[in-house]
Amino acid sequence: MKLIDEYPTPGGTCEEALRLLEKKGDDRPGRLVSLFASLDRDRSPRVHYVIDLGERDYRVIDHAVRQPLTSATTVAPAAAWYERELHDQYGIQVVGHPDLRPLLLHENWPTEVHPMVDPVDNVAWASNPYPFLTVQGQGVCEVPVGPVHAGIIEPGHFRFSVVGDTVVHLELRHFYTHKGTEKLFEGSPVTDGSMIAESVSGDNCFAHAVAYAQAVENAYKVFAPPKATAIRLVGLELERMMAHIGDVGALCGDVGFSVPAAHTARLKEFLLRASNECFGTRFLRGLAVPGGVKRDISPPAADKLAQSVRQAHADFVRLAHIILDSPSVQNRFESAGYLTDKVARDLAVVGPVARASGIDIDVRRDHPYGLYHQMKVGVPRLHYGDVLARARIRIDEASVSCELVGQALHELPAGPIRASDAFEGSARGFSAVESPRGELLYWVEAYEGRIARCHIKSPSFQNWPALPFAVADNVIADFPLINKSFNLSYSGCDR
Amino acid sequence: MISDIVRYSLKVPSPLIPVASLVGNSEGSRMPEIDSRFLTPAIAERVAKACPTSALTVSEIGKQLHLRMDYGECIGCGRCVELGENAFRIATRFSRCGVTREGLVRQWNTEAGTETTPHEISPESVHTEIHSLLGRALNIRQLDAGSCNGCEAEITGLTSPYYDLERFGIHFVASPKHADMLLVTGPVTRNMAEAAKNTYQAVPAPKLVVAVGACGCSGGIFAGSHAIVGGVDACLPVDGYIPGCPPTPTMLITGILEVLRRCLPKISVRPSLETAKA
Repeated sequence: MKLIDEYPTPGGTCEEALRLLEKKGDDRPGRLVSLFASLDRDRSPRVHYVIDLGERDYRVIDHAVRQPLTSATTVAPAAAWYERELHDQYGIQVVGHPDLRPLLLHENWPTEVHPMVDPVDNVAWASNPYPFLTVQGQGVCEVPVGPVHAGIIEPGHFRFSVVGDTVVHLELRHFYTHKGTEKLFEGSPVTDGSMIAESVSGDNCFAHAVAYAQAVENAYKVFAPPKATAIRLVGLELERMMAHIGDVGALCGDVGFSVPAAHTARLKEFLLRASNECFGTRFLRGLAVPGGVKRDISPPAADKLAQSVRQAHADFVRLAHIILDSPSVQNRFESAGYLTDKVARDLAVVGPVARASGIDIDVRRDHPYGLYHQMKVGVPRLHYGDVLARARIRIDEASVSCELVGQALHELPAGPIRASDAFEGSARGFSAVESPRGELLYWVEAYEGRIARCHIKSPSFQNWPALPFAVADNVIADFPLINKSFNLSYSGCDR
Repeated sequence: MISDIVRYSLKVPSPLIPVASLVGNSEGSRMPEIDSRFLTPAIAERVAKACPTSALTVSEIGKQLHLRMDYGECIGCGRCVELGENAFRIATRFSRCGVTREGLVRQWNTEAGTETTPHEISPESVHTEIHSLLGRALNIRQLDAGSCNGCEAEITGLTSPYYDLERFGIHFVASPKHADMLLVTGPVTRNMAEAAKNTYQAVPAPKLVVAVGACGCSGGIFAGSHAIVGGVDACLPVDGYIPGCPPTPTMLITGILEVLRRCLPKISVRPSLETAKA
């Protein structure tokens, strides 16, 4: 059996990563996909950069941390939260970072305990102060909102500085739902990891399970059978349709257009029931596992599912026309929450939010995985960057998903649904998928069949820092609408 | 235009599910059901070993192997159904929603093939007083104490035209100050513990607390993490538990109604009456 140390790492230096991320002249700089640490066998930290250079494969650079790390934030602002996380979790010193306040760990956590390296049994309760940024000037008021919000939503704190109704600055304070998930993976058998992955962000749990499963498969050089990749594609696109239909409805709800909101709730439930009928699970939980999928799909069930998806889609398209044609909706959606493509690029925003601000990225097309190798994926893109653009992107993407589901179900391959599920020995690998919220990456290191480190780059973690830029200069009453148009997961971000 | 949405709506038949088909239904929840006739010590040991959250455990009582199932810890992964032969299957009906913490536990003697649960509840108990509950108003404040948002996704579904929670006189309210019941999801994280307590404090008495989901009941898959405090009852007094990962809308309705049935005397006492007596 090979030890993990015998597997070569990509190597590199911090300077090299910074060079790739820095903008030079008219060239587009590398996009930061993720930045995280792991521990070598001697328990010394190693930092990994995953960078998208516009090539088919992601570029990975890693190096052992022997001295304080040079911050990448000044060349790539997208690195800011990642480096704060390194500082919190590993106690890595970062030089040149403009803001190293604790991120994941709140007032209650002793500053000297770093969960990924230190023992975490019976950690004492502390109460450290947390300084918020203070906006000064005539007529500036602070409006604190959360962590508990007025609705069925996740917790997070928003601190608005307003002049009259207009938001001058919004500061986010999240990680209220931080559950130590990445640490929880450690020591767990590789085959059990998909269950933890499914509990990272429950409403797109299938994307998480697939990303995890693919990372393990890439690590162990196991290939999921063609039928499994087809079923995964169906699940991923079905999940995207449900998410996008639900989001469009929630946007209608936020502008008081409650009848279409009720119809989208109906359509979403219709799809959840179709999913349950086909796979025995409403949210596709427990379906994707390393090596394949757990449940086969019979030809009649495939036909039935395809028909349900077509029906829901046709219904949704009619509804979407009515929504977009309504003057009251246009009035509220148009020009609200404008996210410039400059900010979106600097913060390496992903998913529908990026595509609504003119950034042409989609993992399914740019870094294909599974059955997407054989599919032509249409990637809708708009330049307006407002709530309307984000709503329209979701409406268009639901149509693309419907088409992909139909195609995959029509050409469902025969054969097994699971490759060997013996994951013994040590390995390291990663995989990215396009979740409904955007690029989701899992990086897995396993030692003798057990997970030694699992890093999750969630699209919400990447996109949250962009929200304050979209909210600034809007009236505070539009915040729920703008926030909803981003529809980010708190739990996915906080992990 | 408004007339378009009216025309569109008129063409759609109502998907509303009748009350009788809602209560006790657990389709889509992936909760396992155990048929003790087929239970053997070998199966019991196998499923207990495979259970990722130790919802299933075995112990020897009087030299006989007993299997214990704690539905509060079950995440519905389905391994016991895969490995348990005829003794395990997916439940389509499930009545242990809104019960006490002990009510979520069942136990079997694997050698005799008999159930030895001390807190047996009648599967029909939830049906009995449904009609007397209709017409009462209940205001619920949902509190996410650290959930993965899977439970939220299902709770949001309760207001859809399929389930229409409002027909029971149950509303979701925006402020804990308007609430009779806190519906709490998620393991309580360290970072949410204080906010959860503050929210509870803000609800006027008399109040009910319902823990939702495997995480809310026991910490679920997150049990033992350094960043959580535990299930909801590690932080707040809980009146009823709704298991599942996530519980389906039908299980949520069953659970909420069952908590009301059990705790009705507690909330019928209006604060004004109490004050008047004092």
